[in-house]
Amino acid sequence: MGVDRRAFLGLVAGGAVGTMFTPIPWKLLDDVSIWTQNWPWIPKVPKGQIDYVTTTSKLCPAGEGLKIMRVAGNPITASGNPAHPLSSGGVSALARSEVYMLYSPARVKSPMKKSGKAFVPITWEQALIEMADKLGAAKGSVACISGDQSGTVNEVLSAFVGKLGTAGYFMMPSEATTAAKGMQVMGGKGQAGYDFENADTVLVLGADIFETWGTSTRNRKAFSAKRPVGVKPASNYIYVGPTRNNTAAVCDQWIPASAADLGVVALGIAWHLIKAGATSAAPGFDTLRAVVNGGFGPDDVKRATGIEPAVLAGVAKALASSKAAMVVTGSPFGQGLGAGAFMAGMALNILLGRINKPGGVYALPELATVVPGAMTREAMLKADLPGFLKAVADGKKPAPKALLVYDANPAYGLPEAATMAKALEKIPYKVSFSSFMDETAAMCDLVLPNSLTLERYDDVVTPYGSGFCIYSLVTPYQKPVHDTRPTGDVILALARKLSIELKFDNFLQVLKEKVASLAKTSGGFVAKDVMPWQVAAGKPAPALAGGDLWKALSAGYAWTMVGSVTQTGLGFAPEVLAKAVKPGKTSGKTVTLAPYAQLRTGTPTTGIPCQDLTMVPDTELLGETTMVRMGSATAKALGVKPGAMVKLTGAGTHCKAQVHIFESVMTGVVSAPLGFGHTAFDIFSKGKGANYLALLPVTEEPGTGMSMWAAAEVKIA
Amino acid sequence: MSGHSFKEFPITWGMVIDIDKCTGCGACMASCQTENNVNPQPEATNKLRSTSWMLVYELTNDKAFPDHDVAFLPRPCQQCGNPPCVSVCPVVATDKNEDGGIVSQIYPRCIGCRYCVAACPYHVRYFGWYDPIWPEGMTKTLSPLTSVRPRGVVEKCTFCHHRWNLAKDAARAAGKDPEDLEDGAYVTACVQNCPSGALSFGDLKNPKHKVHELIKSPYAFRLLERLGTKPQVYYISRREWVRKLGDNYLKSEKTE
Ligand code: SF4
Repeated sequence: MGVDRRAFLGLVAGGAVGTMFTPIPWKLLDDVSIWTQNWPWIPKVPKGQIDYVTTTSKLCPAGEGLKIMRVAGNPITASGNPAHPLSSGGVSALARSEVYMLYSPARVKSPMKKSGKAFVPITWEQALIEMADKLGAAKGSVACISGDQSGTVNEVLSAFVGKLGTAGYFMMPSEATTAAKGMQVMGGKGQAGYDFENADTVLVLGADIFETWGTSTRNRKAFSAKRPVGVKPASNYIYVGPTRNNTAAVCDQWIPASAADLGVVALGIAWHLIKAGATSAAPGFDTLRAVVNGGFGPDDVKRATGIEPAVLAGVAKALASSKAAMVVTGSPFGQGLGAGAFMAGMALNILLGRINKPGGVYALPELATVVPGAMTREAMLKADLPGFLKAVADGKKPAPKALLVYDANPAYGLPEAATMAKALEKIPYKVSFSSFMDETAAMCDLVLPNSLTLERYDDVVTPYGSGFCIYSLVTPYQKPVHDTRPTGDVILALARKLSIELKFDNFLQVLKEKVASLAKTSGGFVAKDVMPWQVAAGKPAPALAGGDLWKALSAGYAWTMVGSVTQTGLGFAPEVLAKAVKPGKTSGKTVTLAPYAQLRTGTPTTGIPCQDLTMVPDTELLGETTMVRMGSATAKALGVKPGAMVKLTGAGTHCKAQVHIFESVMTGVVSAPLGFGHTAFDIFSKGKGANYLALLPVTEEPGTGMSMWAAAEVKIA
Repeated sequence: MSGHSFKEFPITWGMVIDIDKCTGCGACMASCQTENNVNPQPEATNKLRSTSWMLVYELTNDKAFPDHDVAFLPRPCQQCGNPPCVSVCPVVATDKNEDGGIVSQIYPRCIGCRYCVAACPYHVRYFGWYDPIWPEGMTKTLSPLTSVRPRGVVEKCTFCHHRWNLAKDAARAAGKDPEDLEDGAYVTACVQNCPSGALSFGDLKNPKHKVHELIKSPYAFRLLERLGTKPQVYYISRREWVRKLGDNYLKSEKTE
């Protein structure tokens, strides 16, 4: 065609004015439009038999079960699996991206070796030989960072580095690491699990439970179930946090409070509960009472947080008078909250008698490990990664000789980015097992691409937040799109090369053994007709047909168990609480930074899923600029105008932002979106906005010694 | 408004959106895009040029902190009973003649004049400014159930019309009446995947379908109802300011 569509339509339009009243031009236009749309470069849709298969999302931390539509055997779309307890048919924007992320331009297409500033492809065999050599030489000083909070692959990795002589096994910081520390300090056992399905009053301290905290898809399904459309809700949700975020937008009440003050709010509520007669046989109650009476009375809390005494009294009353109250604590952006706030929230649960009760907090047992020498999850969650890297950067701790990074992006996803990058640079040999060319992979000597969810066998074991133990399988439905391999298999092959005995030849064997061990666990069942929350509420658990478990899991059903670890020493740890929970102060011309995270901007390991960019509103990202939100009173105090470009300074670095006035941010706080400011990945992530996590300095929490960065002051100019 | 007379359909597919449950996560938008072959857009924050048949708006009550409130409003095509877009289309690329009351859009017939874009008060119609380009290999994930539109035509939400055909086929195969589908046998991709249960879908005229009752709620309203477009999408909110905003009441207007 010599004339393109636009030019052709222009010609026709020129002649159309005088002929409007006869139908002939319209008919001609009709034909022309069909003709001009017959463009060979417009992709043709695939043809073939449609079918549906099931798996579990590994990109989304909510661990939801997926139903994948395939055409002629090729995965086409992902939706929520109605039969999976962490999905019940729902899916997050991130889990929905599982299929098209297979073809993300940011994927690492084959093993890559750093050569000068660039990478060159190498074969898997060459990569294994090089790694065996380098790791063999680094024996005794090999560290590992894992970003997978719920996979059995951690057993393989931890056993491997353990046998090489570990310099530390670190999980990327998350709500799970904070909760594990809190439980440990309080003398408790097990992973905190939240029974949203049976709760009727839920006090949410900071945690963005409907967006990034824990099993968010399932949390929303549970919320929704108690709120039939158009009817008075049968549950009461109260949100306490610095902004009216995605969670607070649907809660019944929003109580503004800085992330630094969440523990203070909890102890302020404890004051009311104790005054109303709440008591507990848990160790430390008397001291707790003294602590609470000594500094967390209504006036103290008002002075520290601005919250009116009547508001807290109202919350205490709502909790005390409800049948199934529950307190959930977390960081508004999923990391960096010290254990103090978690402990204060748990203290409320204990005072309310809500431990191991339906609609309360269950202490969930850990499933048995199957790889000899593997660390337990409890042990893995103990290590403090930002604290460690900071010590390495400052020269207070020796840098490990080698580092394995699995499904994690510490160079981007940690606070105080400059310090963390400095520490990573000190480690002489680094390998990243990443599916995408992320910021950390770009710093590594070797990048060994992990196959994606739909290309590998894997599993999801009780993600943090789940109210019950749950195990679901990840099943491959297509050959790897690129020359990638599942990291579990790579590590097992490497172990063989280094003559390290890990018992298994491939990762599928590990999973089979894990499932076999579940089949022997008493109390476990396949959630099908009966759901675990119904069992928690008293319905008898169905028996498990052991031999069929693998089959049931492959069919998309989950193994579940309503468990509670008997607590012998769970107490209030009031001495630690008294040190860790202190009213925060803001000073002068600074504001508190309150970052927020959303699944549509992915995780540090995924970058922004390409199709999810459309979901980002232009009040958050405009072109290449990200916006920070603040109320008009804050803007006025700072002397900044709506839409102005500002510089935010903190932790020795600075970021740009445009000012968006949003009145649902408490005064004195500036709220900033996370997930932007990538320097790696692809056109959908790279160069879009700023990474405000870099502005948060890491400090040590008094009492627990844990690293924290949930709230920090920044300068705005 | 459109000059067309209001058409009745024996089956009238409709959506009910509970604003008090929507958290604004965008899963409905993601579901819509992948279901309907909307390509990924690197400049997607340019809302004047990007395409998203389902769009989640952020509403506020316009008050200062701490009285400020926020709500999210997912907006598919409203499938108006009296659609303003239909009467302005010079080539009859869009129509409301189909059963089910879904406003159709025939892409090969569209000449891209964008009269409908201008006429639609809900901004549901999107003009393809650019060629639909997918990153290499990603066309393997295209859905066979919807066509890929070239640039230069107007496109919009069709209530995942293809799913209706699939549901009818499934009913026929099961020996059931395809004209009397059970509640839930046909739902759109956004409704199916919303983790908050904020969206419901069904035949507004069928008493066996949940939406039939829901639209009678005292909290139910339609967007810009006063224009007389009679949308088949209903919203529900217990918050009065949301309902008022939905019908664009001016601050000076008396409401109740
Ligand atoms: S998926 Fe549901 S909760 Fe999320 S934005 Fe859409 S309607 Fe709202």
